[in-house]
Amino acid sequence: MGSGAASRRPATFQELILALQSFWAERGCVIAQPADMAMGAGTFHPATFLRALGPEPWKAAYVQPCRRPTDGRYGQNPFRLQHYYQFQVVLKPSPLEIQEIYLDSLRALGIDTLVHDIRFVEDNWESPTLGAWGLGWEVWLNGMEISQFTYFQAAGGLDCRPVTGEITYGLERIAMYLQDVGSVFDLLWTETTAGRLSYGDIFRQNEVEMSTYNFELADTDFLFERFKQSERSCRRLIAAGLSLPAYEQVLEASHSFNLLDARRAISVTERQRYILRVRRMAQSVAEIYCASREALGFPLLRQEREHEAQLG
Amino acid sequence: MDKHRDFLVEIGTEELPTRSVRPLAEAFAANLLAGFDEAGLHYRTVESFATPRRLAVRVTKLAPHPPDRNVERRGPPVRVAYDETGKPTQAALAFAESCGAALQDLTTEQTPKGAWLVYRAAEPGKPTQNLLPGIVESALRNLPVPRQMRWGSGEHSFVRPVHWVVMLFGGEIVNATLFGVRAGNRTRGHRFLAPQELTISRPATYLQVLETKGRVIADPERRRQRVLEAVTAAAGRVSGEALLDDELIDDVAALVEWPVALAGRFEERFLELPPEVLIATLRGHLRFFPLRDANAKLMPGFIAVSNLASRQPDQVRIGNERVVRPRLEDAAFFWQADRKRRLAERADDLRRVVFQEKLGSLFERQRRLRTILLYLSEATGIDDAVATRIAELAKCDLLTQMVSEFPELQGIIGRYYAQADGEPDAVALALEEQYLPRFAGDRLPESRAGNAAAIAEKTDTIVAIFAIGEKPSGTRDPFGLRRAALGVLRILIERRIDLSLPELIRVAKDSLPLETPDTLEAEVYDYMMERLRVYYTETPGEGIGHDQFDAVLANRPASPLDFHQRLMAVKAFLRLNAAPGLAAANKRIANILRKTGEAFPARPNEADLREPQEKLLFARLAELKEELPPLIAGRDYRQVLERLATLEEPIDSFFDAVMVMSENEHLRRNRLALLDELRALFLATADLSRLQIG
Repeated sequence: MGSGAASRRPATFQELILALQSFWAERGCVIAQPADMAMGAGTFHPATFLRALGPEPWKAAYVQPCRRPTDGRYGQNPFRLQHYYQFQVVLKPSPLEIQEIYLDSLRALGIDTLVHDIRFVEDNWESPTLGAWGLGWEVWLNGMEISQFTYFQAAGGLDCRPVTGEITYGLERIAMYLQDVGSVFDLLWTETTAGRLSYGDIFRQNEVEMSTYNFELADTDFLFERFKQSERSCRRLIAAGLSLPAYEQVLEASHSFNLLDARRAISVTERQRYILRVRRMAQSVAEIYCASREALGFPLLRQEREHEAQLG
Repeated sequence: MDKHRDFLVEIGTEELPTRSVRPLAEAFAANLLAGFDEAGLHYRTVESFATPRRLAVRVTKLAPHPPDRNVERRGPPVRVAYDETGKPTQAALAFAESCGAALQDLTTEQTPKGAWLVYRAAEPGKPTQNLLPGIVESALRNLPVPRQMRWGSGEHSFVRPVHWVVMLFGGEIVNATLFGVRAGNRTRGHRFLAPQELTISRPATYLQVLETKGRVIADPERRRQRVLEAVTAAAGRVSGEALLDDELIDDVAALVEWPVALAGRFEERFLELPPEVLIATLRGHLRFFPLRDANAKLMPGFIAVSNLASRQPDQVRIGNERVVRPRLEDAAFFWQADRKRRLAERADDLRRVVFQEKLGSLFERQRRLRTILLYLSEATGIDDAVATRIAELAKCDLLTQMVSEFPELQGIIGRYYAQADGEPDAVALALEEQYLPRFAGDRLPESRAGNAAAIAEKTDTIVAIFAIGEKPSGTRDPFGLRRAALGVLRILIERRIDLSLPELIRVAKDSLPLETPDTLEAEVYDYMMERLRVYYTETPGEGIGHDQFDAVLANRPASPLDFHQRLMAVKAFLRLNAAPGLAAANKRIANILRKTGEAFPARPNEADLREPQEKLLFARLAELKEELPPLIAGRDYRQVLERLATLEEPIDSFFDAVMVMSENEHLRRNRLALLDELRALFLATADLSRLQIG
């Protein structure tokens, strides 16, 4: 059981990422790299969504750039971005002491739990597009939400057995806290021999241009067409038994949908229908992914058993 | 000899859903008691405790075992049990063995059909120790958990993962395993302030150990009280008064084990926001208490309740202040951005927002509101232009960013934005008041236009939802129709708006975009009247019984105001000395008229009256037939009933002296006609035969 005592605070955004990576690497996680496609949350990364399916054990941690087109504010709002970073941890099966490990990770970031008021406040999670839901909390640091904590109960319409525990750190918020700055753009990303580089130096232009694109210039005809294309490809790939490329089409469709939503090109009733279409794709992918792992004999499960047998 | 002992069970969990904390503990206690009762276990008192991380129940003086049970088994008849020599037969021996008793422990029972061998004994109950695991397990299994979860690789499911279980019967640990966790006598304190395990030696020490060593206040009522005191004190220290709210206090108390209140500030410039927005921002997601000064004006500050006696309280305060800012910044952004576009310009966008699949968009809903409002304009005394404008703007604020962020501010935001747009005050105010009353006991609209808007808004909802067959059933009322129905009735009655409810329903019905059954009007009318019945009969102090309500409902008055006036007259009538007699007479007359299959003339013929008593009654009736109609037209039902009360004596003497069912057919029919006329005179106000007196 950890005490309140805390380590030194990471002084920069990149040190924060490094600190979390090494913390979770030490606890047996694969440090995965971001998925190389646009997505709304770290949950969409195959290392979470697909690995949460089936019986195989899995522990991973990674940074995931996230895109939420509707959250863009043209770089004007000090707290809102259409592109930001999550640090995602998945532990399957979820260990009983998962909350304590998480609190230790905060201590490793220099957050003293006897100084700061940390709470787990009910926040159940549901992703209608992924056909996934779980129960858990948002974690408050002096009233500020800094992480999401979820016990996956189902994904792609399939029950999760064993249960995956998912922890999502909101990196910008935590960094703003650690660095005591009032605007995300003032975050120190890193200090190099060439000088200080802020989050704004790196991303402000991106926020302005991407907000303009998301809200004003995204070609809706093209996006509707791309959505349909992705759906068609997905069906073809599923028929061919290729779950991973089929899943990429789910991500593609989902992002097209998010952009159309930001352009307000989808009416309320239709919105529901589009979500259902993505969900159907995700569910089919989940099913054939499970089947493909089973055909391989659930390699990670086998490996774990062999490892345990060796340890005797 | 075993003695009664206290029992304690505590389930230690990960943080429970806020609104489940107390209800689950209370249900846990109720389920346990049901289990004890079923097992026949006596106990003295029960208490439930709950924090975000535990559900516990303590029972005092629980019996060590259920009372002995008397068992009785009948064996073979005596004549079969013994042979001629008086020796027991195989049948007798086998029966004794099956009872686990010796032959001499059996008795015989004489019955009219002969004598039988019988086994009687008092069977001791199983020790409570052995019963507890099953009772607790079943109590937990039947908790009203909205959504269960599994965790890890296990198959157990509960509201959140379970970490420890305490089960003590007296000082003894109960031998049980729940959710894969072995029960013990060790609990845990506050997650941060006292993370070590704590031993509970006896149930009686539970609260004290948790509070002094564990920094946990496990009694939810005491913790709630602490929150209240801490918030009040913290507000006092900054010379403010906290805006208390029961629901918020409950939520806050369910989020902490060790409440510590602190005062924080935000920038003055945010006070330019409407106070409703500030309050919603602070209370809503943040669960802060807003502050007001001696002049009842909001202060640029708040009270937060943390779960930590922090080593550096300033850090907690600074942190909380930093959370407020982005939220208020967002609200300020919406406030600026929304007002760049007039409300009226958003009307077209309402076409895209579905009200209900079969009922079309909000745009169509506004059109229906227009029809209803124009129908209401005369009765409520508003201009057609105002009615039309309210309808054009009614739902426009639902499309603003502010309302999508704070749905509970619908209408209020409409009012602010309409004012900013320079809409007439009456229109702006009506946009807010259309949603009143929002809950039982809430205020009614103040303005005439507000009354009209509120009636229209609710009537459209009720009639439309009935039309698509989604009327409330049991406790299911997703569209809040009960509240809406009573809202309409209260406005009509308390604001003295006299109009025909069936006609209002018809107007609403005719503007719907779908075919409706002919029975819809009566169905909605009946539904609304039943809500009114509940309101009158269940409002303390009204003193209205179902019989009084039924007496008035018999006439199905079209106007709810008229209904109310009649009901009040009946209530006053009951205080008259003549009331019991007249009610009985009405009942008697109603019975006579109902039972007779005979046709009688439309009105009695004076020439056919024989007895002086019936002549007198006839004469009095003739007078009243002149007097009453103008009173009824003027709705002076009290006067009407008081006048009718003067008939008590003539009616009494009529029944004493006159034989209604006379042999003479001519006289009989004439008397029936007389009674019918009398009854009609009473019925014009209410059916007094339905009153239950004495």
